[in-house]
Amino acid sequence: MAHDSHEHDAHVYVPEIAIDRDGKEHVVQGWQGDYEGGKLGFWLFMLTEVLMFGAMFMVLTYYFTLHHQDFINASAGLNRVLGGVNTVVLLFSALTMGLGLLKMRSGDVKGAKLMIWATMLLAAVFLGVKAVEWTAEYHHGIFLGLDALQSGNEHSKPFGEILFFGMYFTMTGLHGFHIIIGIGLMLWLLKRINSGKVTPEHNILHFNIALYWDLVHLIWVFVFPYFYMIGAGDIAGGVIHGH
Amino acid sequence: MVTNYKAEKGGYYKVLFGLLALTALTFIQPTMFLPDMTFGLQMLIGTVKAWIILMYYMHLKGETLIGWTVIFAVFIVVFFFAIVIIDVNNFQYADVSHITSPAK
Repeated sequence: MAHDSHEHDAHVYVPEIAIDRDGKEHVVQGWQGDYEGGKLGFWLFMLTEVLMFGAMFMVLTYYFTLHHQDFINASAGLNRVLGGVNTVVLLFSALTMGLGLLKMRSGDVKGAKLMIWATMLLAAVFLGVKAVEWTAEYHHGIFLGLDALQSGNEHSKPFGEILFFGMYFTMTGLHGFHIIIGIGLMLWLLKRINSGKVTPEHNILHFNIALYWDLVHLIWVFVFPYFYMIGAGDIAGGVIHGH
Repeated sequence: MVTNYKAEKGGYYKVLFGLLALTALTFIQPTMFLPDMTFGLQMLIGTVKAWIILMYYMHLKGETLIGWTVIFAVFIVVFFFAIVIIDVNNFQYADVSHITSPAK
């Protein structure tokens, strides 16, 4: 039996009551109250993300094994400073997201919203740095569809480097897409907080979006060294040249 | 569910400094020590960072059910990784495959 939610304050969670054939009342377990179920369900979703990126890392490792030196040479050409800046930016964004959740749980809703905005700002900085990096690479003739990354012409890079940059643009692009999705989720979270549907007592949505953001950070923890750092140490890895 | 913000934020900052230290290690390792083992060491540092993020930022510490679910998923990824790496070292069509070499 549905209750009339208009009679209640938006911040107060009112359980739905179902009446069985004997006339007994039972509280319907909605998703708002099922904290453990909501958390477990979101973890299962995140594991599908792990498997998807895991498959990509597997392909990357396959090519790396076959074209070791080409991968080292291609990696040495990436801009490690910009990649490193983005690593630190994501690290701080994970902190602001975590602190936002803590503030929400401690009852400081205004502080939580501020931290979510800070996280979105850092996410935008990450995308901005990535855009600068990709633009520089484009002007150096390295981008999907350009001659250097097509085999069989005079400007073609070695085959292993073509594979490296193909994976680089695919994986950093997909990761960037996850950052954009994250910003969208945070905007939605702010909307839900403002409408009183996410509160210090019912914060599973905030918790799960914080988990999502940590997953995005976690993926970058492996994307960064795999693409940017493997060419930094090998003595035979060619000339190190940032853009 | 309501928690003490001041009591818990200290832990978040400790994790931040730990991750920053490991990030610095990521940068200095290729030029400071064992440059011929860069790939393995970079993945090792990444794994330590991932473990810290999972345990403290993603609150897996003390989560038995979810913890085992994560271990199972990671096991599947690592299992297929192992099969592929063993296979790729014995790939018998490397000379004719367009995946492993450009079209002739």
